[in-house]
Amino acid sequence: MIENKTPTRTIPDEIVDLVKQSVINTFESILGEPPVYNESETQSGPLNGMIGNIAVFNPEHTLTLMLAFPKETAVALSEVFVGMELPFESDDMGDLVGEISNILAGEVAANIETIGFRGQSSLPTATRGSDLTLFMPNKPPTKKMKFEANNGVFWLNMALSESR
Amino acid sequence: MANIKALVVDDSKIMRSAVKRALDQLMIADFEYVEAMNGEDALEQFTDDIQIIFLDWNMPKMTGVEFAKALRERGDTDHIPIIMVTAEKSMGKVDIALNEGGANEYLTKPFTADKMHKTIKRYFDDSGNLITGKEKAEKKSFFSNILKS
Repeated sequence: MIENKTPTRTIPDEIVDLVKQSVINTFESILGEPPVYNESETQSGPLNGMIGNIAVFNPEHTLTLMLAFPKETAVALSEVFVGMELPFESDDMGDLVGEISNILAGEVAANIETIGFRGQSSLPTATRGSDLTLFMPNKPPTKKMKFEANNGVFWLNMALSESR
Repeated sequence: MANIKALVVDDSKIMRSAVKRALDQLMIADFEYVEAMNGEDALEQFTDDIQIIFLDWNMPKMTGVEFAKALRERGDTDHIPIIMVTAEKSMGKVDIALNEGGANEYLTKPFTADKMHKTIKRYFDDSGNLITGKEKAEKKSFFSNILKS
């Protein structure tokens, strides 16, 4: 009998569900209302906006989280978070997207700890641009989720890889 | 209202502003702010007249907990309340901050002015004066002396 030794190329459902709930909790605490997960859309085109990038990691695994905000969503979020619309091109906008990523990572780290993934958060980074396309070298298991809030749509992309 | 000198430590300018805005909204004291971008910067900015510290955890160069440990190890800062204001939410992290880092309170981001108030109100009297550990100890020893006599 030949054993199938092909590694799983998807992120375990329990991690996906906990990250999804973490996104909902995080944005509910920021916006006052929970964003709605749109499971019918799993693909997105190139982004004109901002990406917040952060990882929750331990010596074995790294869970990379990428929050992708279209320009309009990022500006609308700034009004809620800061109390005024931040210019999309400003350093403060990068600071804001990084901080939202940081808050999400804290929620994810606490939630996935309940299933034995004990990790710590990296420092966040933010990228601004047009025609941005996300891709992961070495093709680790990934999952893309779309959320819709009153303040606009956004995406959460995650990848699970072995730590180096 | 009493004047209170607060050290606000966070690598995010947005979050430093959010902390200051929440404190100003509370109108429990007249806050004067000193800002620092990480633990290392906070050690440089720290002066003996700082009365309360609002401290992020996850920062470059030196984390908030490392800063809190370094400050407590001086031995003359136990009376200064350290309020962690952080995105770290797991109970293990809370335990580390409070028991190993020497922080007094733990507030998770994002927070509202109301949550900030609930977290820090026990450190202020009705006039906005800080009721610090040092003052609590002095009051305790004052009453102890009366009882002894």
